[in-house]
Amino acid sequence: MIYLDNSATTRVCPEAAQAAYTCMTEGYFNPSALYVPAMEAEKQMTLCREALLSAVHAPQGSRAVFVSGGTEADNLAILGGMQSVRDGLVLYSAGEHPAVREACEALRTVRSKEIPLDRDGFVSLEKLEGMLNEEVRLICVMQVNNETGAVMPIREIAALRDRLCPRALLHVDGVQGFLRVPFDMGQSGADSYALSGHKIHAPKGIGALIMGPRCRLTARQIGGGQERTLRSGTENTPGIAGLLAAVRHYPKDADLRAMKLRLWEQVKALIPQAVYNGPDPASDRSAPHILNLSLPPVRSETMLHALEGDQIYIGLGSACSSHKQRVSRVLSAMGIAGQRAESALRFSLSPLNTMEEMDFAAQALKKHYETYSQFVRR
Amino acid sequence: MDNLLLIRYGEIYLKGLNRPYFLRALLARVKEAVRPLGGQVWLKDARLFVQGVSDMDACIQRVTKVFGVHSVCPAVHLPKADFEQVCAQAAEMMRGMTGTFKVDARRSDKRYPLDSPEINAKMGGYILRNVPGLKVDVHHPDHVMNVEIRDEAYLYVKVIEAAGGMPVGTGGKAALLLSGGIDSPVAGYMIAKRGVELCAVHFYSYPYTSERAKEKVLDLARIISQSCCGIKVFVVPFTDIQLKIHEKCADDYTTLIMRRFMMRIAEKIAQREGAEALITGESVGQVASQTMTALHMTNMVVSMPVFRPLIGFDKIEIIRYAEKIGTYETSCLPYEDCCTVFTPRHPATHPKLDKILESEARLDGDALIEEAIRNTEIVEC
Repeated sequence: MIYLDNSATTRVCPEAAQAAYTCMTEGYFNPSALYVPAMEAEKQMTLCREALLSAVHAPQGSRAVFVSGGTEADNLAILGGMQSVRDGLVLYSAGEHPAVREACEALRTVRSKEIPLDRDGFVSLEKLEGMLNEEVRLICVMQVNNETGAVMPIREIAALRDRLCPRALLHVDGVQGFLRVPFDMGQSGADSYALSGHKIHAPKGIGALIMGPRCRLTARQIGGGQERTLRSGTENTPGIAGLLAAVRHYPKDADLRAMKLRLWEQVKALIPQAVYNGPDPASDRSAPHILNLSLPPVRSETMLHALEGDQIYIGLGSACSSHKQRVSRVLSAMGIAGQRAESALRFSLSPLNTMEEMDFAAQALKKHYETYSQFVRR
Repeated sequence: MDNLLLIRYGEIYLKGLNRPYFLRALLARVKEAVRPLGGQVWLKDARLFVQGVSDMDACIQRVTKVFGVHSVCPAVHLPKADFEQVCAQAAEMMRGMTGTFKVDARRSDKRYPLDSPEINAKMGGYILRNVPGLKVDVHHPDHVMNVEIRDEAYLYVKVIEAAGGMPVGTGGKAALLLSGGIDSPVAGYMIAKRGVELCAVHFYSYPYTSERAKEKVLDLARIISQSCCGIKVFVVPFTDIQLKIHEKCADDYTTLIMRRFMMRIAEKIAQREGAEALITGESVGQVASQTMTALHMTNMVVSMPVFRPLIGFDKIEIIRYAEKIGTYETSCLPYEDCCTVFTPRHPATHPKLDKILESEARLDGDALIEEAIRNTEIVEC
C-alpha cells in the first residue's frame, strides 16, 4: 500500500499510539481532580502546551488551548474572536478551508469578504492592500494551502495589516503547515494559529489554537470552565498525550521535498501532458509535501480509483470536499478551469513515504494514463 | 391480561381456495421479520399475533414493512367470559384520553351472549361512566376502542398502517436492474410489493465509479430488502464493455447499445436465478434512452417480460415515492458517475435499428457478456 493522502490524515506513529494507550489505561485521571495522579495528567498537558508553543515560536504571553482539531480551532478563533465585535469586516483568502470560510460567512454582526488568489495560488498582496482599511477586524489566511501546497506570505500580509489596519487580528490556519513548514509566530505577526494532531501522526480528535498576546476570545463551548473557561469539557488527555509524542518524534530531518520533486520529475518525464497547479514544486514557496497536478483529459475520480486498484491512495483537491462540488473552489479561484481542473490530483507526503514509492506511483500513473486517456468524451 | 401485537392482512381476504397458501407465506415472512427479536408468531382466526418480543417498538417497525400486512395494532387480550372485566380493561386503556370516542366491536365468536351492537353500547356506556373527559361521537370520534371477541377478547386503540401488498414469494421472482439512482429502487419496491421475490443486477464501472458508489447500491438493496426478506445483488463488472462500445460504436448510439447489453446480461442472470421477468425504473421520455422508440430498441434484445412500474410517473412523483419508502436520501448521495465519458453529448432520441445492429456487429458481444457474467460478484443483502 502506498499512502499519498497525508493531507487528509496520517497514520498515527507508534510513539503517539503508545502514549495515548498508556494514558487511557494508566494515566486516565481527570486533570481537574484533586489527588496526586490527576496532577500528573495535568502536567502532561502543560508539557504538551509548551511543546506546541515552542514548535511555532509563539511570542511571550501566548497560550495554547486544546480543542478537538483544526475545524474547532478555526471556529473558535473566528466565531469566538468576533462574538463581541459589533460591526466591521472580516477578510479570508479564497483558498481557505471550509472551516474558516463557513465560519466567516456565518458571522452575523460583521461582514465578510474573500481575498482573491493569484494564478499560482497565493493571496494577492496587491488586491489585499486595496481591501485593507480601518474597518477590517480580522484577516484569515492559511499557512499552507491544503490543495496546492502554496505557502502563503504571512509576514507580508502582517506588514500590510500593521500599516493599514493595525487593530485587525491575523488568524493563520496552520493545519497543513504545522511542523512541515517552519513557522515563527512571533516574527510572522500572526495573532492566532490553528493546528490539528491527525495531520502529524497524532490521533484524530485533538488539536489546538495558539493564541498570541493580542488574541481575545469568547468561549464557544461552556460548562465546567476547563482551558481557562475557553473550552469547557473534560480534556482529551489521551489525545493530548498522543499529540505531545507526535510532536516530539516528528522526523524533522525527513526530506519531503526531495520525494515530492522525484515524483514530479518522473511524472513529467513519463507523461508530457502533466502540469502542476500552484507554485513551482521546486520553489520554497511550495510546501515540501504537497503536489497538485493535472493529467488532462483523465478525470480526477477515474485516476483516483484506478490508482486505488494498485493500492495507491491519493486525494482529489481536498478530501473534505469530495462529498460536495466537483471542481475545486481553490483551483477556480486561481483561474484553472475545464479539463485541467477536472483532472487535478493531490499527492501529499509524510516522512513515512519512500523514494521507491514515488517511482512506483509515477509508473502507475503512466500505465493508467495510457489506458484512460484514450477514452474521452467526444 | 397480556400484551401482544395483532396483525391484520388486507388483500389476502379476497383470495378463495388458495388463501391458505398466501397465509402460509405471510406467516413465514412475518416470522422472518420478527426472528431477531425473539418471541412467538402465530396465525389464528384471520389474524396474526406476535408475543414475547424483546422490543415491541422495533417489532412494529419491522412488521409494518412486511408486504401483505395491512395494519398492526398493539393489543391487550384477556378472557372474554367476564364482560364487566373486559369493559374495565377497556376503560383502563382509555384513561387519560380526552375528546370523543366510540367502541367498535367485532364478534367472530357467534356464541358470545352479546352481539356487536350490544357490546358497543354496553362498553361505550361503561367507558363514558368511568373515564372523565371523554364524550361519545359515533361518526367522527377522536379515539376508537376496538374490541374483537374471538377465543378471547382483544382490545386495541392504536391502528398502525403497514406496507400492504402481497407476501413476497407468492408472485414469483424477478430481476431488478438497480443503478443507484432514484428510480430503480422504487420500481423494485413496487413490484416486490405485489409479492414478487427480487434479485438485483448492478453494473459496476470501476474505475469510473467507485467502491463507495457500489456500497451505496448495496445500501439501497438493504433498504428494500427490509420489505422483501433479502435480495441477492449481482455486481457485474461493466467497464470493459463500456470501453469497447465507446471505442467501436457510433457516438450517438452508445447509451442505447449499453442499455441493450445491460438487458441481455440481466436476462441471463435472471434465467440462472429462476426469475421470470426483468424490472427497470424507466419512465417514458425521462432521458434520451427512455423515449418510446429507444425503449422498444432495448426491449427487443430480451424475450422475458420487462416490468416498468414507473413508466407513467413524473420525476417528482417518483421522488415522493422514494421518500416514502426511505430510499431517496441514499439515492441522492453523490458518489457516482465519473462516467460522463460514456454519455454522448447528443444521444439519438429516434434511433434506427439498422444503425444499432451495424454498430453492435463491430463488437464480440457474446464473449463480452460471458466474460462480464463470469466475473460477477454476488452480495447477499
